[in-house]
Amino acid sequence: MLSGVYFILIVIIGGSGGVTRYGHLTASLFLFYLVSNSLTGGVKSVTAGQRLILNTAFPRMMLPISATVIAFFKFIPTLFVFMIMRTVLGLPFGWEMLWSIPIILIALIFSLGVAILISTINVYFRDIASFLPYLTRTFLYLSPILYEASDLKPQLRIIEHFNPLFSILESWSLSIVHSQTPNLSSMLISLAWALGVLLIGTYFFLSREREFAVRL
Amino acid sequence: MQNLSLTYTTAIQRKPTLKARAKALGRGTKQTRVVHALENVNLDVTYGQVLGVIGTNGAGKSSLMRTIAGIIPPTSGRIEVFGSVSTLLALGIGFNPALSGRANVLLGGLAAGMSRKDIEEHFDEIAEFSELGEAIDAPMRTYSSGMYARLGFSVAATVQPDILIVDEALSTGDAHFKEKSFNKIKELRSEDRALILVSHAMATLREICNDVAWLHKGKLVNRGNPNEIIDAYQDFLHLGKSSVIDEDL
Repeated sequence: MLSGVYFILIVIIGGSGGVTRYGHLTASLFLFYLVSNSLTGGVKSVTAGQRLILNTAFPRMMLPISATVIAFFKFIPTLFVFMIMRTVLGLPFGWEMLWSIPIILIALIFSLGVAILISTINVYFRDIASFLPYLTRTFLYLSPILYEASDLKPQLRIIEHFNPLFSILESWSLSIVHSQTPNLSSMLISLAWALGVLLIGTYFFLSREREFAVRL
Repeated sequence: MQNLSLTYTTAIQRKPTLKARAKALGRGTKQTRVVHALENVNLDVTYGQVLGVIGTNGAGKSSLMRTIAGIIPPTSGRIEVFGSVSTLLALGIGFNPALSGRANVLLGGLAAGMSRKDIEEHFDEIAEFSELGEAIDAPMRTYSSGMYARLGFSVAATVQPDILIVDEALSTGDAHFKEKSFNKIKELRSEDRALILVSHAMATLREICNDVAWLHKGKLVNRGNPNEIIDAYQDFLHLGKSSVIDEDL
């Protein structure tokens, strides 16, 4: 339903539509919401687990990990929905669609990294969750969801250097919507962002984990 | 435990925010404070001992229990723990009020470190001990505090650890529950288990414990015979003998 609303919006503003555009919009939204749900679920995962943390010894990283797992389980049914939708829309099938599997893995790694990072930050600044809707909306508009990456003017392509989701979503759309092999450099950039965020988030979490029981 | 110390920094505000931190930076006010919870505590507990830990509020009793349980790492010193540790620091850990008592037995058991198979094997025992009857299938949000405490304790008491730490978790609940949990704690005393009990109920400690340690402002003041240590503690607080002191109200 949300993709339908956005589609109407881009047709009204941009004047262009088409089944491929709608398929791209829907598929990109689904993957974007995997990351977004992991972020919104992860932000309060540690603070909400206050009683567990204060009274039980267990690996605290299970809390943001469980938020990401929940987001992934919410994402899986959307894949089935999209497969049905792309069949109805008449989008081409091909073996190149299998590239979507490593892209999902990269998106999962990135989602896990942001969940771990944001859950730690929230322990020290409890109002960080209030900023999340603005953050996710910003990334929604800066990512190739409402538009395709190929439609961006060369001067605006600078966005992809600062948006970790840009390359992931570009590769995702190429594989799952257009049945084309994604650009290897895009995939490597996506992987680098995902691993970087995961490493930074994990390091930050583990370095602060000792304090959780006394900060909560 | 050798020369155990615990010092940590905690926020002054209960819920620190980015906005408050930005304001504080502008005004130059402090947002955190340093707490010296434990200082050079030396304590050994062997199997067969039932150690009571007493002290005023803020003495460091709960901090000591959490450090032994591995929940808070010490700042300095050494802790060596031989055997499995189970904690009863609060009742109903891992419980979800929206779910039934039956489902929460599974959740609570898993949170306590039991396997699914163990929980299923002990379920009847847990349900019987809790005395909930048919209410075990009702959502826990409909339970009274006494019912909640009974189920929480039933789950926790089923775990048979080598070291059991109880931190004032039994001070809630009605008189029947207190008596039942008191008897269960007495049953758990054995030569192959160590119990560490934090309580303000002096009569309970005199009856159950064979050793008592007195903490004050993070330091171990004394340790020894329960009656002697408790009498010394009560003299220190200038308290006479009364039922208010002996039992949790």
